[in-house]
Amino acid sequence: MSGGPPAPGPIPEQDPTERVTGVAGTLAERQAALVATLTAGAPVPPGFDARLVEVARSALLRKRAGDVARHWPLLAAGLGERWLAVFARWAATRPTQGSLRDGWDLARGLAGEGPLPAPAAEELAVREALWRYDGTTAPRRRRLPAIRRTDGGTVLQLAGRIRLWSDRNR
Amino acid sequence: MIPDSYGVGIGWRPEIAGFVAELPGLRFVEVVAESVPATGPAPPALAALRDRGVAVVPHGVRLSLGGAEPVEPERVSRFARVAELLDAPLASEHIAFVRAGGVEAGHLLPLPRTREAVDAVVANVTRVQAELTVPLALEPIAALFDWPDDELDEAHFLNEILDRTGALLLLDIANVYANAHNRGDDPLDLLDRLPLDRVGYVHVAGGAAHDGIYHDTHTDPVPDVVLELVAELSARHRPPALLLERDGDYPPAAALRGELDAIAAASGHPRVT
Repeated sequence: MSGGPPAPGPIPEQDPTERVTGVAGTLAERQAALVATLTAGAPVPPGFDARLVEVARSALLRKRAGDVARHWPLLAAGLGERWLAVFARWAATRPTQGSLRDGWDLARGLAGEGPLPAPAAEELAVREALWRYDGTTAPRRRRLPAIRRTDGGTVLQLAGRIRLWSDRNR
Repeated sequence: MIPDSYGVGIGWRPEIAGFVAELPGLRFVEVVAESVPATGPAPPALAALRDRGVAVVPHGVRLSLGGAEPVEPERVSRFARVAELLDAPLASEHIAFVRAGGVEAGHLLPLPRTREAVDAVVANVTRVQAELTVPLALEPIAALFDWPDDELDEAHFLNEILDRTGALLLLDIANVYANAHNRGDDPLDLLDRLPLDRVGYVHVAGGAAHDGIYHDTHTDPVPDVVLELVAELSARHRPPALLLERDGDYPPAAALRGELDAIAAASGHPRVT
């Protein structure tokens, strides 16, 4: 992984066709291939150090997990020690759409598989009541009242304010 | 160059806004450009700093200056507007790309050190400079891997970009350490080959090694080896300003003050705490 041979003095002019890169494609294509490797599980492009690219991929997933945990603290806390593994498995083939949407998509996906821990379910329900999110474009604030049920209670949004009822207190 | 010597600063983040506001000797901070609403007015905490004479430098992370595709015009306009909104003395971005083919990488990615990549960066930097009303400083990143077809070494690559754009250098000393450590190079070799008189300011940050690879985390303490590099750099050409970057796992105020004081001691600038 050395930084290539030193090139003292001005850069020699070089015919691009004579460059020995061993790698085909324009810079744009090659950048896209690398991003696909790091965010969507595509194979490591030829010539790269696969071990180091994997180190970068893992570091990137850890960073994303931390960013999403800041936007979805109760979702992350609800999963506890499993958070990093659960997020990393989900995110390994999904390039980021921003931390808010990433967490939202994951929360919906997990909720579809089984009940979320109560605080995480409430966090999701509050967001669903406040915002309209179609899963493909940026969430937008709801103008109309909305009501969402969770396993443990009910969330009501009225004029942008949230009220929570727990089933136990009824 | 920055027209003045700003000494030791810190990256402003909402989580440590209270700590930053109470630093008595502070003369400059940096804020992530994309976190500032471009419609204005400046966020109150930043406006308050500016009103007491603290310079606020917008630091872009999403322009993707190293992208093969032209930098998005809306992002450039927004970046320039934020710099004006903050009365910034300069603005900064990275020599890196963060998206390709419409997909966000979510991180700063290294470029191949080729003539083609130099051309791409220079074209994008020129587009930004055309709109920006203050000088632009460019920051080389920490790379966990290199491209297989590098034609230039790091110093040559950076000098070529700086010479052709006239941009300032935002030298991240922790990145210098990280890259040298991970490539098995001597960090002083790079320092000796960079145009230190063109350093606009310096980043100092913490990191940690895992399995022999140093990660520039910004969430760990600044290691002594990085502070030693600050001293080596300052002995060669003292930078006009150095800035501590911390981006999470914020330590108690005393620890942050200790890091700011250590940077002041290593660089010969006065303490700001």
